Amino acid sequence: MSHELAPLGRDQALAQPPHHSGKGAGTRAVQGAVLLLLFAVLYLATHAFPGIHEGAGTIGAVGFLLLVGTLMSELVETIGIPHLTGYLLAGVVAGPHVLGLIDHHAVNDLTSVNTLALSLIALEGGAELRLDVVRRGLRSLAWATLLQSLALLVGMTGVFFALRPWIPFLGPLAPLGAFAVAILWGVLAVTRSPSAALGILSQTRASGPVASFTLTFVMSSDVVVVVLLTACITIARPLLEPTGELSLSEFRLLGREILGTVALGTTLGLLLAAYLRLWGRQLILVFLALGLGLAEVMRYLQYDPLLAFMTAGFVVQNLSRQGEKFIAAIHGMGSVVYVIFFATAGAHLDIPLLRTLWPVAVMLAGARALLTWMSGRLASNLAADPPAVKKWGWAGLVSQAGLALGLAGTVARSFPSFGDGFRALAIATVALNEFFGPILFKLALDRAGETSAVPAPNRPSLVPAGGDVRE
Amino acid sequence: VNGLLLLLGLLVLSYIGSFLAAGRSLTGFGLPSGSEYLVLGFCVGPNVLGLVDRSMLASFDPIADVALGWLAMLLGLHYAFGGRHPIRTTSLIAASFIALLTAASVTAGELFAASRFGSGPPFDPWIWAAGVGIACAETTPHAVRWVIERKRAAGPLSRLLAELADSGGAVPILATAVLFLPMHEQHLPVAIPDLGWAGITLGLGILCGAVAAALLGREFRLHESFGVLLGTSLFGIGLAARLGLSVLALMFAMGLTLAAVSRHRNEMLAMVAPTERAILLPALVLAGARVEPRAAPGAVVVVVAALAARIVAKLISGWLLGAVFPAARRAGPLLGLGLLSTGALSVAIGLAFALRFPGPVGDTVLLAVAVTTIFGEFGGPARLGAALTRAGEITDASALAPDNASAAVTPP
Repeated sequence: MSHELAPLGRDQALAQPPHHSGKGAGTRAVQGAVLLLLFAVLYLATHAFPGIHEGAGTIGAVGFLLLVGTLMSELVETIGIPHLTGYLLAGVVAGPHVLGLIDHHAVNDLTSVNTLALSLIALEGGAELRLDVVRRGLRSLAWATLLQSLALLVGMTGVFFALRPWIPFLGPLAPLGAFAVAILWGVLAVTRSPSAALGILSQTRASGPVASFTLTFVMSSDVVVVVLLTACITIARPLLEPTGELSLSEFRLLGREILGTVALGTTLGLLLAAYLRLWGRQLILVFLALGLGLAEVMRYLQYDPLLAFMTAGFVVQNLSRQGEKFIAAIHGMGSVVYVIFFATAGAHLDIPLLRTLWPVAVMLAGARALLTWMSGRLASNLAADPPAVKKWGWAGLVSQAGLALGLAGTVARSFPSFGDGFRALAIATVALNEFFGPILFKLALDRAGETSAVPAPNRPSLVPAGGDVRE
Repeated sequence: VNGLLLLLGLLVLSYIGSFLAAGRSLTGFGLPSGSEYLVLGFCVGPNVLGLVDRSMLASFDPIADVALGWLAMLLGLHYAFGGRHPIRTTSLIAASFIALLTAASVTAGELFAASRFGSGPPFDPWIWAAGVGIACAETTPHAVRWVIERKRAAGPLSRLLAELADSGGAVPILATAVLFLPMHEQHLPVAIPDLGWAGITLGLGILCGAVAAALLGREFRLHESFGVLLGTSLFGIGLAARLGLSVLALMFAMGLTLAAVSRHRNEMLAMVAPTERAILLPALVLAGARVEPRAAPGAVVVVVAALAARIVAKLISGWLLGAVFPAARRAGPLLGLGLLSTGALSVAIGLAFALRFPGPVGDTVLLAVAVTTIFGEFGGPARLGAALTRAGEITDASALAPDNASAAVTPP
């Protein structure tokens, strides 16, 4: 049986002679026809029976996005666009703002599916971080973290403040208040997208300094962002609220939260390693229980599930011998997880809002990309990075997605007076970064020669429940 | 118990189920029809322990729909092929006839009871009576295989009965396509007759199967195949549930089409077969939790009528089998009682009714199915064992043989 073939690692993949996927014009024509057919069927169904069985709409939406996202990604691949962009496009076209085949209710319902996907992405991200690679790139990581965080925080604060005449929700605020909001925007700009980076790496199966640097940087940036956000909210609050005081108690809570999360993630990682060692079966069900159940429990306990799962993946990879088996199992789910996650993100994109705010959003996204490039070059020079990282290391840091939107939501809840406007602008800006960031990253990997020419191996995208991933 | 715990409980059951799928299950653990999970669900449900209430169960409706759809798709993939060996046409015809006869008898029994005793929900009796009829039509292959494998039976009758059980599911599933009609048609430019909707249900299933087959293409890449199958299945289930059509019929048609059109049928079967038990057990528990003993006035009469009509229909079926198949003749006149076991498919149809017709109609069908399944659990396998012994296919020697079970259910 072909699904019993051992999955290839990236290094193994590169060692294979390159060959093409073998999908010719006929296959593409079939894919195009099926894509149109699916759109037509759902269009007929939604228009003939609007608003019936909302739960059913969600099931259909998952299936539709999975199929259409996969097909769209296959079709855009022919012009060199990454799969992620295809998934996003599918979501945008089918979503409530364009064809309306997937309504707002279904999009909201898909949040739980997204939580599951994000948990798996975090587990994969942590497991992809190998201690020896992190150690080797520590100098590079330190400079990049320092400069990327500092330059984006300071630079984007300045850009946002300079653009305030064009930002409607800053109108009622005094200059000091506007500056405080600009600081919060600066933190937002520091966030990256682990899911986009991993999605592109999963598709291209890239291997090399750019891929390693991006992975290490993006996965570790989560902690930096959480600390920066707490610091900036603490600073911004007295500037925005006359009665507000500078209080450091938030840091105590944050410290407790981070330590607790890391401890929980470590325990989970050790348990997972033990499970893999002793049984190693039914990992899909274990992942489902973790992604749906444990993530909810962690949220209830106010721990950060993303960081906890990342830590767990890191522990399995680096403190046990089960890393390869673990990664193989998660990679097996990759095609389903990424399609649903990004297609849903596409359906979430608020196109009318983007139409309204696009001039400011373009300026903000452009300035962020420019600052990312500049600080990337500077950090690489200081860290004496390899030429490929110097030239392309910044490209994987442009993408933004759920993390940035989550942070915008936190700001909106913390400061209701301007929160909605802030979130709307964040959505518009993140939409641009979400769309163009993956294209840029794939281009960088292609140009750096790190993209694997070997297609994905024949293995299950989801190991059946009865399947065994023992090697 | 909140929704999260229920979900985790179902995942644990799924985990157990996936281990049971490893092959030793049939001869090792559990009751023949898996009705212990139905009882477990009933015990944790609102009528006994109350750990799970009705509103929480309702929030799991989409998951139940997906489980039913996936099981029906698996059945479609398996149907009429019996794994790698095709089922004989005569067996197929006989199984369909027995299912039709049983469904018609039970429906008639229910209609008679309703007119005589006023039992059943105060709605159009045809819907719920036919619902009980088609839900009680099957003979579960799990129980038949359980007896054959556990007793190590081998011979033409064992093979015939295994084939009958394997291929008897199509009639009740396809009948749901006729009974499940859209609830609101006001947006449609043309009126579509009831049978037209049955055709649309099956047509959509065929379309989904064809789409999946086209996307799987010439080369079977497991990297993509499970995603394609999952996506097409969820799309089909979502469509059926949205329109109010039969999820079971649509997905069965999809599986059947896929099996007929795709060159990768065997690979697909190998890929998805292990998921059956993993999905079945949680579905049985969900169905058990939804069973409502006070489903409708005269619920006891509904249940008794279903049991009585089913026994009569099976007795007649056994007699007819004896008349047509020489192998069945040696089993004696009570062979039909060996076909009394119902199981996964019946419960799935009952649950589908409960989801599609929430309230007295769905509850009545599910209650009748649950009682019939538990009743069949105790009566069916024992009678089947006796019939096979009488036919000379279970002997003391066969019980000592190392493993001749596979020979019993597969042709030479």
